[in-house]
Amino acid sequence: MRGDQISKSAELSRTLKRIEKKIDILISGTEGKRPAKRREEAMGEGLDVMTLLSFPDHLRKSAMTIMKLGKAMAEDVAKETGRARAIESAYLNQLARMGYVKKVREGRRVYFSLEGNQANIESLINPKVAEEGG
Amino acid sequence: MNPGTVLAVHSYKGGTGKTLISMNLATILAKQGKNVCLIDLDLRAPSLDATFAANGKHWINDFLSGTCEPMDVLKDFSKEKATSGRLLVALANPSMEAIREIVTKDKRWEMGALRRLLSLKEFLTNNLAMDYVVMDTSPGLSYGSINAVAASDFVLVVSTWDASDITGTQGMIGELYDLLERRAIVIMNKIPEQLIAAEEMKERLADQFKRAFKLPVMDLLPCYCDILRQERATIMALDKPDHPFSKSLVEIVGKVEKAGEKPAPPLPKP
Repeated sequence: MRGDQISKSAELSRTLKRIEKKIDILISGTEGKRPAKRREEAMGEGLDVMTLLSFPDHLRKSAMTIMKLGKAMAEDVAKETGRARAIESAYLNQLARMGYVKKVREGRRVYFSLEGNQANIESLINPKVAEEGG
Repeated sequence: MNPGTVLAVHSYKGGTGKTLISMNLATILAKQGKNVCLIDLDLRAPSLDATFAANGKHWINDFLSGTCEPMDVLKDFSKEKATSGRLLVALANPSMEAIREIVTKDKRWEMGALRRLLSLKEFLTNNLAMDYVVMDTSPGLSYGSINAVAASDFVLVVSTWDASDITGTQGMIGELYDLLERRAIVIMNKIPEQLIAAEEMKERLADQFKRAFKLPVMDLLPCYCDILRQERATIMALDKPDHPFSKSLVEIVGKVEKAGEKPAPPLPKP
């Protein structure tokens, strides 16, 4: 009777330990991966025109200026929009957090860009055009 | 240095005359010695291929998908059309298969397409020194047409006399061009001829449209049945420069040039 109880409680504690271990694995897995994965997804998101149209006015203005300038610092964007640099910086950071623009630090400067916007411009230089007809 | 002007020719409904106006604008500009690139961005119903026959392997679709370079899709028609400026044309793939493919494209593809369109604009105006890029777009609010509007400097909206067309155009002005801060100019096309026969009536009507759209209205073009009877390959401005339609378009070109020079005025907040 007693021996039976002991073996049962031992079995229970073993099971509990197993469960604990699995929970630990799960926790460590999510801790390490989730934020990274989320950032990655957001980075791939980028900005599309329909989303741009659905933005509130203040964010749309910043996003459109980035679209126009290609790659710019908050100060450059502020010059275009006529808003204060600090405010522009806050909006751009918000857009970057949302994954719509890319934020890159180069030394002390922080640049914002639409992802891949400048991608293939360099490779496009080739002035010969195929001629049709004539 | 004046970087080139990128013009999107757009409309709410189909069949308003976007393509006819685009190709005539482009050829008139090229004939006047400007370097012009005409792009068919109506990927769902390509139409420039009927006028500009090209046997290239690449289409603007391929460029937007990222599978070829801009030089692969640009064809030089300056010799064939005897224009003093350069006339480059990029065609959309008219095969049913290609259209089917375009219809199934998702948001991600459209985002890439916009990026490539922006880089193409940069390439055409900077590297190839194009004075004008004319984009013939698909009607209404679609990813493709909004991408074109977003990549343009200003929009030429073509509307007909039809009530739903006018309401739709008003909607696009308020909810698309204004939000994207694009200047827009309206061309009214296919107006019943008797309504604008007298100059006074034409002016009154133009004024009404101006108020309805709260935008400058460039011209009221009558419905010319003889244009509809022309073959698709005909470019009115080249083949019949004395036709009233061609003459009106030459005037429109003058206004477009002027509009292109001005820096965009800040838009009033809605």
